[in-house]
Order: sequence, then structure tokens, then C-alpha cells
Amino acid sequence: MAASKEELLGKLSDCVLDMEDEEVTGVAEEYIENGYEAFDGIMNGLVDGMNKASDLYDQEEYFVTDLLLCSDAMYAGLDVLRPHLPEETQDEKPRAVIGVVEGDTHDIGKNLVKIMMETAGFEMHDLGRDVPLDQFVEKAKETDASLVLMSTLMTTTMMGMPEVIKKLEEAGIRDKVKVMVGGSPISRKFADDIGADGYSANAVEAVKVAKKLMGMEA
Amino acid sequence: MGNIKDFKCTYDHSAGISPEITEGLSLTFPDAYQHADTMAVLSKRLKEAEGMDFCELPFCHTVEAEAMGGNINFGNEKAGPRAGVYVCETVEELNGLSRIDFSAGRIREVLTACEILKKQGETVVLMISGPFTILNVLIDPRHVFRAMRRNPEKLQPFFDRLQEELLQFAAKAVKSGADVLSYADSSGSLNIIGPKNMEYITERFTVPFLKKAVQITDGKAQIALCPKTSFALTGTGAAEWKNLAVQKDSSYLNACLQVKKQAALTGQMCIKNRAYKVSEQIKVLEFT
Repeated sequence: MAASKEELLGKLSDCVLDMEDEEVTGVAEEYIENGYEAFDGIMNGLVDGMNKASDLYDQEEYFVTDLLLCSDAMYAGLDVLRPHLPEETQDEKPRAVIGVVEGDTHDIGKNLVKIMMETAGFEMHDLGRDVPLDQFVEKAKETDASLVLMSTLMTTTMMGMPEVIKKLEEAGIRDKVKVMVGGSPISRKFADDIGADGYSANAVEAVKVAKKLMGMEA
Repeated sequence: MGNIKDFKCTYDHSAGISPEITEGLSLTFPDAYQHADTMAVLSKRLKEAEGMDFCELPFCHTVEAEAMGGNINFGNEKAGPRAGVYVCETVEELNGLSRIDFSAGRIREVLTACEILKKQGETVVLMISGPFTILNVLIDPRHVFRAMRRNPEKLQPFFDRLQEELLQFAAKAVKSGADVLSYADSSGSLNIIGPKNMEYITERFTVPFLKKAVQITDGKAQIALCPKTSFALTGTGAAEWKNLAVQKDSSYLNACLQVKKQAALTGQMCIKNRAYKVSEQIKVLEFT
């Protein structure tokens, strides 16, 4: 007997939560073979699992490494389900550019924010780590992004952030782009002082701030 | 388990030296980060500029990884040496990395800079990085985290060779005159790797490494641990705190040096916390 949709959605969610990046592929294939909607599989299966993982991270039951491995499973499942999405559900996502500012290579936190933002429905353009400041502006223009997210773990590189804001102004796109900053030495006061629109202390909060800035439900 | 506390790090976020500090030194970058004589000049200028009572070497956490074959972006006067592209794509490839040659390259220059500063009468703190910080330069941390979760034994050969080579580094640093070996592994923080991995790395790497490092220093140098490491040792029951008397209101470094002959391990505060004073007693760590 074919597994029910609810049963498979539960399994997809559990695979993500339990970091089963191999098992999830088989479950996702079975889900599609049974004729269930890919969109529901993503949102009520994979994303549900990632949200549960995020809650556990918030409660300090899961750690950064756990979330990264959960995301491995989520992406493995997405690879199976995404090609089956109808065209119209694949656009209309707010676009965001993310990266670690030049001089710094600490990208674990940035990767986590990227995952959480993708889970929340943002189209993320990841510039990676040690990113030359101009690239933030170029990518924002190229992708017509509405958000630029910058992180750094080092006091010596945090002053690259106001430079990017200045460059966005010079490029004439500052009013179209909201800027969010984060990272260990960054504070809300620093964010305010440099004219950033948003600050978050962790990846879970980053999603809430981004949604608020975009006028989406928080 | 579950008793390991985390220490909120706000100090270990600098690498490279600001242009204001290097003004007037006639140094070119990144060249200045790579040679013993300029490293010594920079270290002294940094000490003066930041009002420290010691000279610190090196200026980044990439020296050990570079000596194993890591790719380094040497930076400029604004941002110092940092990881370039990853040289390993799998954890298995870590086992193929070259052994550290302490007679060549930047690691040799660091040791020579230590000798220069010592001859000039400076107190020298030499920083040694832990496994996750070094791995961060060599391989995408995701591969390491996956291996730690699924089969940590896969990483054990790397941890074993690293332990051996870091002990050689420690021995050479002491011989070169380092007064304090500052050991930290900020990329392997509790909030990143979680308590299970922290317990594993503490038992399989940190404890055996430090027990041997204590023998190496033999009262000639103090080992100042990052409080994150201290908490991992006490949280796993591998070590306990003990109080030792020091002069009233000593700087943290000075307090560490005062107890060098009585205890090898300190770690109640970050060595980079310049303002921290030890009122009358310093905490030292003893293995249980």
C-alpha cells in the first residue's frame, strides 16, 4: 500500500531533523512517485524539518554543526523535489545578497543565515567569504536584490560594512536595498551608527529581521 | 556530560594591524607579515600602540596550516594573513598533507622573531592554534563537521599528527624564548561544535596534547589557555581549578608569569583582555 501524503511529509521532516541526507532522497522520490505536490513536500516536509531544527537550535539543543548537517539533508531533498515544482511557484521570492566582508574568512555564521533565509523563502545570492566590498554592490545591482547581508567576526574588518553602504549610495541603489549586518563584534549600536537597516545576533533572528524589513509576516 | 560552559569571546577578533599603527615604520605589506625582523618590529609597535605588557606573535591563525600546505592570502596593512582557497576536498586528503618543517617558511620566521624579541628583553606570548582553527584553513568546515558526526575516527590520524607537531612547535617556541604559549581554538567553540564534539576533541586531543605540553614547558613558560578550552577541561572533569596567590592587582599576563614555576596551566581569562586585573589569587588548572 502506498504511503499516505502525511506519512511521507512526516518522514521528509524527520530526515531533515535527523540529518539523514541519504535517506531523504529516497523518501522524496517516493513522495513524487506517489503523485503528491512538490511544493507541499518542500514546505510541509523539508522546511518543516528545518524549522524544527531551528527551534532546537534556539533552545540550545542543536548546535551550528547540527544545523549545517540538517541543511545538507534539506538540500538533498530539494534537489529531488524542485524539478517538479510548477513554474509559477518558482518566482516571486525576495532576493538577497550575502557575504563575509573582505579580510575575514569566518563563514560558518554566514552559511547558517543563508540556510535559514532560504528556508524562509528568500532567494539567496552567496558571495562567500573574504568578499571585496564592490562585489556586494555589483551583485545587488545584477540580481536586483532588495537585501544585502554582511557578516564579519573580526574587529579589523567590520569597517568594511559602512564602506559598502557608502558604495550602495554612490551606485544610487541605497533606497532600493535594505542592509543587514551581523557577526560576533557587531552590535545594534554599530549597525545604527553605520546606517544599516537591520542587525541580528543570530541566524534565527536574522530571518525575523529580514522578514520585517521586507514587510513579510515575521 | 553537558557541564561544559561556553565563554563569550570578544577578544580574538583582530588580525592584521591598522595603518595608523604601522605609520612611520617604512614597512611594506604583506611582506612585513612574513619575515622575522619585520614581525619583531610590528609586534613591538603593536605592544606600544595597544598598551600591552607583552609582545605577541604571530598576527594570525594561519601559520601552522600554511606549514602543512595550506593556501594563505597574506593580506595587506588593513587585513592580515588569512585562509585562501581550501587545499583539501575530503577529510581523507588531510592525511596527505606535508609534515611541518620548522626550519623553513613563515613558521621558522615566527620562531626567529621570538628569539629577536627575547634578546631585546621583551616578554613574548606565542599563540598556538587548536585543531578546528587549523582545519578551517585547510578544508571547508562542513566536511569536518560531517566526519565528526558520522565517524570521528576518520579525523583521528590528523588529530594525532597535529598533536605531535604542535608539541614540536611548543618545544621550539620555548627554546626560542617564548614566556607564554597562548593556546586557543576559537573555531571549535562549544556553540559551534556542540557538547558531544567538544567532549570528543577534549578527550582525544586537548587533554593528551596539554599533558605533554606541560612537560615540555617544564616551568620555563606558562601555558595560557583560552577560557573556552579551560571550561572544556573542567566541564569534562579532566582538570580542576586551584587558586594561587599573586601580587595584588596584577595584570593577567603578569599574574600568569608569577605562577609559572608552580603551575603550568592558566586560563580564567583571555590573554587579550588588557584591562583585566587579578586581585590577589589567580586560578590555575590541574589535571585530575
